[in-house]
Amino acid sequence: MSQISLTINGRAHSVDTDPDTPLLYVLRDDLHLNGAKFGCGLGQCGACTVIVGGNAVLSCLIPVSTIGTRPVTTIEGLGTAARPGVVQQAFIDEQAAQCGYCIAGMIMRAEALLQHDPAPADDVIRSQMALNLCRCGTHMRILRAVRRASDKLKGRA
Amino acid sequence: MLLVSALVLLACTWRPGIAARPASEPPAFDAALVQQGARVAALGLCANCHTARPGAPFAGGFKVATPFGAVYSTNITPDRATGIGTWTQAAFVRAMRDGVARDGSHLYPAFPYDHYTRLAPADIDALYAFMMTRTAIHAPAHANDLIFPLGFRPLLAGWKLLFLDHAPVPVNTAQTVEWNRGAYIAASMGHCAACHSPRNALGAVDRKDFLGGGEAEGWYVPALNGKSPSPVAWNRDSLTAYLRSGIAPAHAMAGGPMQAVTASLGAADPADVRALATYIVSLMGKPAPAIEQRALDAAHRPVALAAAPGGTDAAARQLQLGQRVYADACARCHASGRTPGSGGALQLPAAIAVYDPDPRSLIRIVRDGIAPGPAEPGRWMPGFAGILTSEQISALAAYLRHSAARQAPWNDLEKRVAAAEKDDRQ
Repeated sequence: MSQISLTINGRAHSVDTDPDTPLLYVLRDDLHLNGAKFGCGLGQCGACTVIVGGNAVLSCLIPVSTIGTRPVTTIEGLGTAARPGVVQQAFIDEQAAQCGYCIAGMIMRAEALLQHDPAPADDVIRSQMALNLCRCGTHMRILRAVRRASDKLKGRA
Repeated sequence: MLLVSALVLLACTWRPGIAARPASEPPAFDAALVQQGARVAALGLCANCHTARPGAPFAGGFKVATPFGAVYSTNITPDRATGIGTWTQAAFVRAMRDGVARDGSHLYPAFPYDHYTRLAPADIDALYAFMMTRTAIHAPAHANDLIFPLGFRPLLAGWKLLFLDHAPVPVNTAQTVEWNRGAYIAASMGHCAACHSPRNALGAVDRKDFLGGGEAEGWYVPALNGKSPSPVAWNRDSLTAYLRSGIAPAHAMAGGPMQAVTASLGAADPADVRALATYIVSLMGKPAPAIEQRALDAAHRPVALAAAPGGTDAAARQLQLGQRVYADACARCHASGRTPGSGGALQLPAAIAVYDPDPRSLIRIVRDGIAPGPAEPGRWMPGFAGILTSEQISALAAYLRHSAARQAPWNDLEKRVAAAEKDDRQ
């Protein structure tokens, strides 16, 4: 066990854990940030996606020891139920969730994409979102939600 | 006088157009010939470069990045307006053997006609039958983006004069029929040397170092001759399995550009792939016995990787960081010193990339991971781009070079890691 410092959603945290512990376990089990979901645990489904240092990252794969000073953002950092973030609101407006298990990961990957490129082409949205799976099959609504969020963000720029 | 010489030179590059095949005379082919053409197309990997979207096979548009700029593959479906629907058999044969389009313009050797020059006429005829019986797709060509003055196609005539070899692949009577079949496939339709050989300053395959290692899409492409970096000797069975499935258990997983190659060879005639493997294996040298023994031991009985050396100098600190990254991010699957995981990840002392002469392939595998293509056998490694920083990837590669391969350090490591990161940003 070792003491590991993390900056999550702008707040400093210190956890006592094994250095190879995946970030996802620390988020859920130690910090009770349950937005990121455990899907496959193998980096194949995207349900655990969070943003680390500006990149969409599979939190089931990233050992806490490798994060260092890079800031971590989870879906809890984007907004609240009362005041959702732009991407969250777009997903609500498009009713993009069915069971919802994949949606936190989808939103985080979309958020990272739009931070880098607020106006991505449709094929860029598709290729970037391809890593995240939805077993209910709401992909078309999810793509529309990303497009809607992009239109909103472009309007602001 | 200068003007006259220039005009004479230009005239030498001129090739006549060949009349369009009339629409009123649709070609008809024997089914067996079409099937033979399908074998040639699978071994020739035509779909790999001529298909950009899975829903539009052979419709072109795939970007081939070269040191001279980007060339986009063209539509080779029998569409009359945008494909090769107007091409007669004579025009097709000329394109394959001389790199000249039906209209007489020179084609860029990103289309590997410098290998197809050696195809047997019967194989070209079969390929024509196969291509002309594909579904016609309307897809205009994407403009190339080449450095000046290479947009001027007559220059290619000079390149061809220097580098085209029309001699048939020689038959080696001391070898078996199968070996000779493999030699023919490798040198002609398979165009293995296009990626597995080094190229000269003009982009031509270096014939003096045949299959001596090359590059493709940011990967080092391993040598297949005496310089093969593999720590474990390939044999006919293991290489056949690898070429047909992308997997040689406990030894190699196809990644990067080789994945599309193995996907195509998986659809080829198994006897042909076996012949190819027979020939390639005969070219490769044997690994040093000590390296092979260690790799085989690791492959079958996980052993812990050697610890990084102590010390506080920059090199030692980098290896120590690499060891921590390996232990925290990689060991859960690559399992040195642990029970192999259900995924059966390679034991790294047996993995070829850590023995390569440069770190490009290892960096690409770490950054991109390996995912099976549609309908390919499962093999999976997640990509660690974004998860690991460039500093961590450099340290990890340095540590694996030191402790998994036990080879001299790569001296251009940080530069290569930075280049891979830059490529991914573009």
